[in-house]
Amino acid sequence: MTRQAFMARLREGLRGLPPSAQADIVADYETHFNEGESAGRSEADVAAALGDPGRLARELRAEAGLKRWEEERSPSAGASAIFAVLGLGALDILVLLPILMGVGGAIFGIGVAVIAVFFAGGVVFAAGPFTGMPGGPAAALLAGLGLMTGATSAGAVLAIVSIGLVNALVWYGRLHYRLLKPALESQNLGGV
Amino acid sequence: MPEAIEIQLKKGALELCVLALLSQHDSYAYEIASRLSDSIGMGEGTIYPLMRRLQTDRLVETYLVESSSGPSRKYYRLTEVGKASFTSQKSAWKSFSGAVQSILGGAK
Repeated sequence: MTRQAFMARLREGLRGLPPSAQADIVADYETHFNEGESAGRSEADVAAALGDPGRLARELRAEAGLKRWEEERSPSAGASAIFAVLGLGALDILVLLPILMGVGGAIFGIGVAVIAVFFAGGVVFAAGPFTGMPGGPAAALLAGLGLMTGATSAGAVLAIVSIGLVNALVWYGRLHYRLLKPALESQNLGGV
Repeated sequence: MPEAIEIQLKKGALELCVLALLSQHDSYAYEIASRLSDSIGMGEGTIYPLMRRLQTDRLVETYLVESSSGPSRKYYRLTEVGKASFTSQKSAWKSFSGAVQSILGGAK
């Protein structure tokens, strides 16, 4: 592979990362080619030693997504971590996809239910005492409070479960790095 | 599968090797990569993500050196944190590899 082809594929693969990160990475590998050239190595030789640029870019992007999740536990960072792992495109991750979608759908459904129960509790708490609910105003107030606190704790448990699931996925995704952590296999990998 | 074992071993040792090289003298990525790829057979592309991580973890810092030929080079040097981390990783490695060695020596 020529230097130009390598860099073009790397650039293409890095799209979606912050521009400054892309520029840093591209500059690193440009320098690498320059150094290799002045050491008298051919472009093809340097490119082969670096490994497949598409794969390299995918893993660099995945790592950026996973790192973001480790720094901030927000739903959007969680989503980017999930996409990062899927982006690795390993076969068994794709097999995992339907399961993941099932679990994700269930979590979303339970989340919506939890929010609905919370608001229902709010309505019972606010309106109950004036609409003559059975048991009188005090029972309505307590029932409303109970629903709301129940929903809150269910929501908290749900959040903990989701964070645990994403963490497990991150761990699983990292097992699939071939070039990154130590790009050790690239020697006899030749492509892929 | 001996290949898998080899990869796992190199994985653990890579960061330690980079810190060791930098503890001897400051260096730039290409030099580190070619030293390590010659001696422990590591893919050259690995070094850049690793250096970036070491930098994020504040184990190394960079400075630019003007070069007589071509653009200036980015050199890496160990920070105080990096030196401390190297010392502790080195002693952990020594005690671990010593223990493995003594077991291997007893096995036939």
